[in-house]
Amino acid sequence: MLGVAIAAAMLLDMVMLATGMRESFRELLLSRGFELRLAPKGTLPFDTDATIPGVSAITEVLRRNPDIREISPVMGASIHIPSGNRDVSGSALGVDPSVQGDYELLSGRDVTTADAIVVNDYLLNQLHARVGDTLNAATGYDPQTRTYSGQQKLVITGRVSFIYGATEQSAAAMRRETLEGMSGKDKRDRASLFMVRVRKGADAERVRDWIETQLPNVTAISIATALAQVDARLSYFRQLAIILGAVSLFVGFLLVTTLVTVSVNERAGEIAVMRAIGISKAHVVQQIVIEGVGISFAGAILGLGLGLVTARYLNTILSAFPGLPMAIDFFLFQPRSAWSALALLIASGIAAGVYPAWRAASLPIAETLRREAIA
Amino acid sequence: MHLDQLQRVSGYGDRVDRFAAATKPSADIARTIDRINKVAFGFKAYRSRDIAVETSRTFQVVSRFHRAIGVITIVASSVFLLCIMVLKVEERRRDIAALRLIGISRASVVRSIIIESAVVAVLGSVLGVALGWAASLLVNWHYQALYRTPLEFSIVTTPVVAFAVSLSLLLGVGAGLLASLRLARTPPLELFGR
Repeated sequence: MLGVAIAAAMLLDMVMLATGMRESFRELLLSRGFELRLAPKGTLPFDTDATIPGVSAITEVLRRNPDIREISPVMGASIHIPSGNRDVSGSALGVDPSVQGDYELLSGRDVTTADAIVVNDYLLNQLHARVGDTLNAATGYDPQTRTYSGQQKLVITGRVSFIYGATEQSAAAMRRETLEGMSGKDKRDRASLFMVRVRKGADAERVRDWIETQLPNVTAISIATALAQVDARLSYFRQLAIILGAVSLFVGFLLVTTLVTVSVNERAGEIAVMRAIGISKAHVVQQIVIEGVGISFAGAILGLGLGLVTARYLNTILSAFPGLPMAIDFFLFQPRSAWSALALLIASGIAAGVYPAWRAASLPIAETLRREAIA
Repeated sequence: MHLDQLQRVSGYGDRVDRFAAATKPSADIARTIDRINKVAFGFKAYRSRDIAVETSRTFQVVSRFHRAIGVITIVASSVFLLCIMVLKVEERRRDIAALRLIGISRASVVRSIIIESAVVAVLGSVLGVALGWAASLLVNWHYQALYRTPLEFSIVTTPVVAFAVSLSLLLGVGAGLLASLRLARTPPLELFGR
C-alpha cells in the first residue's frame, strides 16, 4: 500500500507541476485586473532597458477605444541610495498611484506627493530605515568616481509588497513624474510599460489587435500571449512532469498488478470453488478488478497527503529561481489536479486487475481444486 | 566588431564594461587579485570561477530540484523493490519451509535469497545504466536543438555510474535481507500452514 501511495503522491505532484505554473502565472497577471500590457516593440515587459516614447500621445490614442477602461503607464529605472559608507541599489517604478497595479500598500500612505516614495521590506532592511525617514535617492551612480546623478530627497511614506517582485529584491515606487525628473531629459514622456484594463465583457484579444494597428512601435501582450511565452520558456518543467508522471503511473500499475496477481495466486483454490458452485467468470473478474481499484483508491488517499508535503518542499526549491516573482508557484494545488490523478490511478487499477483476474477465472476448475487439495 | 569600433559607434568613449585577464600558470591568483584591487578604486577583480558560481544561480536551482526528484525516486523505488521482494519471497514460503525441514540452516536460506537479490540488482543496474545512457543522449539531442545551445544537459560519468550501481546493489541486498529475515524467523511448520 505504501508503494502505491508513493506512486500516487508522485503522480499528483507531476500533475500539479504540469498545470501549476501556468495557472499561477495567469492568476498573478489577472490579480489587479489588467488584461493587456504594452511593451517596446519586440520585447517583453522589463526584459530590456528600452522605453516607449510619447506617453501622452499614446494615452490619447488608447482613450479613443471605448473598450479600454483604464491605462496605467509605468516607468522603470534603477535607484541608488547612499547608506553609511555603502551604496544600496534597487529597482524603482514610476507610477500613477490612482491606477497602478504593481504593488499593495501594507502600511503608511501611497505616493500622493511628488517627494513621496514607498519601499518594500527588503529595501527597508537594507537601508535600516523606517517609514517617515528621508532618503537621498539617485538614478545614476558612477562607481569609478563614486558620484551620483539625478539625486532627489524623498520621504518614505509607506511599506509595500510588489506583486511581481522576486525574493531578496530591493524595490521602490514613486510618482512617474518624479522618476522622470530624476532620470533626465532623455526619459521625459517615456514609459517602460503600459498596463491596460478593458471594460467588462470586452474582447481583450480584439482590443490587443486594435492597439497593434494603431501603435506600431509597441508590442501588445494579452494574458493568452503572455501565457504562451511562459509555456515556451518553462516547457522543460512541463515535459519533465509528463515523463515522471507517466513513470509514476506505470510503477503504480506494476505494483497493483503484482499485488493482485499474488493475491489471486494465493486464493486459486477459493476461486476454483466459486467457479465450481456456479459463479460466472465475469463475476469473479469483477470482484478481482474491484480489489485492484480498491488498492489504487486507498493508495491515492494516502498519497494525497504525502503528495502535498513533497510538492511544498519541491516548490520551495524552485521558488529560489533568480528574478522569479514571489507569487509564482510551480506546484499549485487545484482540485482538478487531484481528480485527474485519482482518475488516472483508478483507470490504472482497473487495467492492472483485468489480466490477472481473467487468468485466475479461466483456470481449469477440477485441476485447480485437486492441486490446491494436495498442496 | 573591434572594440574601438563599438566604442565609436555607441559613443562610449574610452570605456569598457569589464576586463578578462589570464594569469601565468605559476601565478598566485589571490595576490594578483589583491594587487589589481589596490591599483585604483572604481572596479573590483574576481576569480572567473566565483563569477560563474554567482551567475549560474538558475542552474544551481535546477540542480537542487533534480537532486530532490532523484532522492524521491530512489525512496519510491526502494519501497517498490521491498514490496516486490517480500511478495516474491512469500510466494516461496513452502519451498523455504521444505529446505528448513531437511536441515538447511536459516543463515543459508537468507544467504541464498540475498545472493539472488544481489544478482537481480546487478542485472537491473546494467540494464539501468544502458537505459540511462540512451536517455541522456536523447535529452541532450532534444534540448540542444530546442534551446540552440552546445551545452550538455545530461552527462553520464564514471562516478555517476559507480554511484548508481553501488546504490542499486545496496538497496537490492537490503530489500532481499529484510524480506528473507521475516520468513527465516518463522518456524518451518508454520510456513507450511500447519
